[in-house]
Amino acid sequence: MTTARVAAILLAKELRLEFRTRELLNATIVFALVVVVLFSFSFDPTSAESRRLGPGLLWIAFLFSGSLMLHPSFAREQANQTLDALRMAPISSFAVLLGKMLANFLFLSAAEVVLVPVFAVLYNVSLTAVLGRLTLVIVLGTLGLSITGTVFSAIAAHARMRELLLPLLLLPILAPLLIAAVEATASLLAVEPTLERAWLAFLAGFDIVFLTASWVLSDFLLEE
Amino acid sequence: MRNFHFLFAAWMAVWAVFFVYQVSVARRVSQLRDEIERLKQQLRES
Amino acid sequence: MKARMLITIFAVGLVFFAGYAALFIAPDERTMHEIQRIFYFHLGCWTAMFTSLVIAFVANVGWLVKRKPHWDWLGVSSIEVGVVCCTAGLITGMLWGKPAWGIWWTWDARLTTCFILWLLYVSYLLLRGLIEEPARRATLSAVFGIFAFLDAPLVYASNRLWRTQHPAPVLFGGPNSGLDPTMVKVLMISMAAMVVVTGIVLLDRYRLERLRHELDELRVACEARVVQSGSVPSRAFRS
Repeated sequence: MTTARVAAILLAKELRLEFRTRELLNATIVFALVVVVLFSFSFDPTSAESRRLGPGLLWIAFLFSGSLMLHPSFAREQANQTLDALRMAPISSFAVLLGKMLANFLFLSAAEVVLVPVFAVLYNVSLTAVLGRLTLVIVLGTLGLSITGTVFSAIAAHARMRELLLPLLLLPILAPLLIAAVEATASLLAVEPTLERAWLAFLAGFDIVFLTASWVLSDFLLEE
Repeated sequence: MRNFHFLFAAWMAVWAVFFVYQVSVARRVSQLRDEIERLKQQLRES
Repeated sequence: MKARMLITIFAVGLVFFAGYAALFIAPDERTMHEIQRIFYFHLGCWTAMFTSLVIAFVANVGWLVKRKPHWDWLGVSSIEVGVVCCTAGLITGMLWGKPAWGIWWTWDARLTTCFILWLLYVSYLLLRGLIEEPARRATLSAVFGIFAFLDAPLVYASNRLWRTQHPAPVLFGGPNSGLDPTMVKVLMISMAAMVVVTGIVLLDRYRLERLRHELDELRVACEARVVQSGSVPSRAFRS
């Protein structure tokens, strides 16, 4: 079976698992909403202020709720020892990782689909003109978040204090991605929306580099 | 000499950082050596 | 033993000569005058740090491929030493920035990526403390170390790719960059001094790691012996 097919099967499994209880998705969406709403108390959302501070807030909300959601990704497997079963199956470790990355990407995207309109309403920013480009930026950023997050939750799964460890490991490594995503979003929300290709290239480059690194190191991540 | 105190502070800071680290490593090395000797002695006796 | 003494004396001599050269041999700089002399220590720290981090990267890969413990010892030692060099570099940078720019810190590309690098490698050290089983600890921290190293080229290239508060490169930079020949010589001596000192500290840290391993093996042997003889409960050895 090809890697892609295995990943698709595992992705279906993750989705089925999640939609049975929907607990992760609900928690992620609610947490992100809480973050966004709480932040709106800290400043008066006039248009100018929102344009300045909004993009950062949005991506921080994505990052926090993402970190919360990524942790159970491997913790669940450990609790039921299903990871051993996956290891013993004749499939590549990268396929396992890829399945999880795609699942995390979809969950995070679902949360973002709810979050972005709420953000637009609460912070008085109009998104209709830039919706296509904004989607591209958010997709690329979320991909980076999912790829790196899945890898690091595999690492943190074997450590103590993993709820604290995962954000601790994740935030520094994601900082360049976050900066690029925030800058790109900010330029799109400006009075004259622009999007420099450099930021897109950086985001795409980040995703490709980390996906390649995960592919090379996938066996070691899922080791006994 | 303009800003000499910053220059001096930088020079001291660099070597202080290395010195403190080296001393901490050396201290741990000698602690470990003592512990290893103790255990070797115990093994010889038993 | 004698080799260590000789190397240490050589290192101390080199350090003093580098300090003398930086203060008295290097010519005066046009705009910043005396404070510019921090440059020689500052770049020395970064050279030493990048050397350590490259060694760490090689060690991380070495462990994953070969699985011999000395690769793991080399990995943690060089990363810890690298963090020390990074700390020294950041401190000298701030002590130069305050008189030269008027600010202790700013979030330009160079300083931000460098601070991230520092955080990443500190996280590596934290991660190691939180995984109990030695082989797994070595493997997972090696993987994390490889990911962390992906930020290092970004730090190096940051003041070439973007316009930063931090000065543009003077070595191998674009047109209009370049350094007075005497300055280059003093810089080389300073870099050599710091790399030699870092090397000595690295070797000592490596020895510490090797001794820890030896101690663990001895503890296991003692425990086995005692449990075998059945005299003292093995709890007594949990120090």
